[in-house]
Amino acid sequence: MSTIAVTLGTDRARRLRAALTVLLAAAVAVGAPFYFAPFQVFQLTMVLLYAVALAGLNLLVGFGGQISLGHGAFFAAGAYTSAVMLDRYDTGHLATLPVAAAGCFLLGLALGVPALRLRGLYLALVTLSLAVFLPPLLKRLEPVTGGSMGLIVDKPQPPAWSGLAEDQWTYFVVLAVTAVALLLARNLLRSRVGRALRAVRDDESAAEVMGVRLSLHKTLAFAWSAMFAGVAGCLYTWVIGFVSPDSFSFVLSVTLLAGLVVGGLASLYGPLLGAAFVTYVPSVSQDLSEAAPGVVFGLLIIAVMFVAPTGLAGLPGRVPVAVARRLSDVAARRPSGVSAVLHRTPPAASAPGPESPSRPGTRASEPLTPADPETVGAPPRTEKE
Amino acid sequence: MSEPTTGRTEPGASAEPDVPEVSGTTGRTEAGASAEPDFLKVSGLHAGYGRARVLQGLDFSVARGEVCAILGPNGAGKTTTLRALSGMAGGRGSVTLDGTELLGRSPEQAARLGVAHVPEGRGTFNDLTVEENLRIGAHLRTARRWRGRAERAAVTADLERIYGHFPRLRQRSRQAAGSLSGGEQQMLAIGRALIRRPALLLLDEPSLGLAPLVTRELFEIVRAVNEEERTTVVVVEQNARLALDIAHRAHVLEAGRLVLSGPAARIREDGHIAEVYLGVPAHARKAG
Repeated sequence: MSTIAVTLGTDRARRLRAALTVLLAAAVAVGAPFYFAPFQVFQLTMVLLYAVALAGLNLLVGFGGQISLGHGAFFAAGAYTSAVMLDRYDTGHLATLPVAAAGCFLLGLALGVPALRLRGLYLALVTLSLAVFLPPLLKRLEPVTGGSMGLIVDKPQPPAWSGLAEDQWTYFVVLAVTAVALLLARNLLRSRVGRALRAVRDDESAAEVMGVRLSLHKTLAFAWSAMFAGVAGCLYTWVIGFVSPDSFSFVLSVTLLAGLVVGGLASLYGPLLGAAFVTYVPSVSQDLSEAAPGVVFGLLIIAVMFVAPTGLAGLPGRVPVAVARRLSDVAARRPSGVSAVLHRTPPAASAPGPESPSRPGTRASEPLTPADPETVGAPPRTEKE
Repeated sequence: MSEPTTGRTEPGASAEPDVPEVSGTTGRTEAGASAEPDFLKVSGLHAGYGRARVLQGLDFSVARGEVCAILGPNGAGKTTTLRALSGMAGGRGSVTLDGTELLGRSPEQAARLGVAHVPEGRGTFNDLTVEENLRIGAHLRTARRWRGRAERAAVTADLERIYGHFPRLRQRSRQAAGSLSGGEQQMLAIGRALIRRPALLLLDEPSLGLAPLVTRELFEIVRAVNEEERTTVVVVEQNARLALDIAHRAHVLEAGRLVLSGPAARIREDGHIAEVYLGVPAHARKAG
């Protein structure tokens, strides 16, 4: 973020650019459902809801420096909260959203407590166990959850005044929720809480001596993160209209984490890219062959990590740097730069002066004249005050 | 004027080691004669990590507004002393700051009581910008953020104050802390600790890994801050000469015990002490 601020210059230019970007993105987002076919609109909707889940995971993993292999479970909890409310109590769709959000927030708070004592692999294992144990539990609770058969619920219906098709209406509802969620995540990160969270990630003990309450902020990170996953799960129920335990196997948790890493950890728009990745890659590779999705998904993750270790979101920042480095490498291969070229003795008159001791990177064809001391290197630093 | 005697206790001696007081003129200013000589009072402090006992009963006091240097060889327990003061290491005994017991508190609680610890190796948050780092320092000030505008204005004023002490940080306010030079990072770490006007500033090896010029600049700033804001400072330092230059009083630690205490100026002037305890050859001590 800071580097962006520096490269774009003044605050005003930066703000203008940001406003334009947001306007453009909004125009594209609103126009898309009128342009694309229903299935494509459905896919876009899925991208949006996955982006919510990834934004939540990003709070925890990217900005909080913790790890979770169990976010599929929070996703499932949100989805089932919504489905059960719609199925048994016939509440409206909108009513399920705050309940799913609040429920998952509390669930996250409870599961954040073990996170206080565990880190790294141990935390990954504990959260993974959550993801593994949830589907069988959902199957067991048949009276409520419908067991392995799952639950079929109504999708939100477009009101008559809108004149929209069902897929378009769903898209707009999800778009609205996603926009609010992403904005919330962004503001959260810029707030005092978000700053504390990132400080804890960078150096726990230094944050603590600043007066940051570690336990509070680490647990809160889990809770916020779970809340976002729960909201995404709730949206999932609205979009698909069907939930079953097998939709939320632990593979979902792994997919979410992979999507986030591919999209870009600790980046504000990485979640959107990651969501597009996890939505489109399987469906595109499905066209290649039946067995392809897993292979393609895996290979693409490897490829992305190789080309862009900071994720897709980091790519625009890395490319100019890489190009600049390549250029400066080329320049550095001429060891003394311009001045050496200027002072180079013509090959015919190369006899006088001892050949300077070969330094790494010195080309033999460019002997340095000994009378040119400043090109040989900076004078040694003196320790004297 | 009496020649200071060494206070090394015999191995196995369980009684309080009698630490020699170096008498003589006070340090650089009269701060030692503050109205509150026991602003920070450490008595019978034993501390360590697990079974390893590092501090074997320390007694010293720091007056309000004083700079106190803790010197000594590697492994003497200097860092552990600071860690015990800021709640990062547990211990027995008593440490009171303005009458409030500090021992047994968490680092976060100690911070709330006004202790600001700049740990060895700086501990700046490398992915945060300089300004964000400073704002983290003001974390506690903004705790009740709904108290409103006035509080946030106060933080902004504090930011300005810190930039006043460290103009270099202002130039880099939007840069990630990880991209700063070592000296700038140390400035940031100290600025971050100062922003909430701590009652007690703990500096652990501020010169570590820095060029001599930068170190001198840093110590001058610490001296200025101490004089302008009357911040009480405890500084642990390998570079005894530098620390003695800005300190009012100094304590020499060896193997977890205080072996010498006195006004910094006296210790600095005394060739014998410098040679025996601080590893400063007699001929070098006047070089600064």
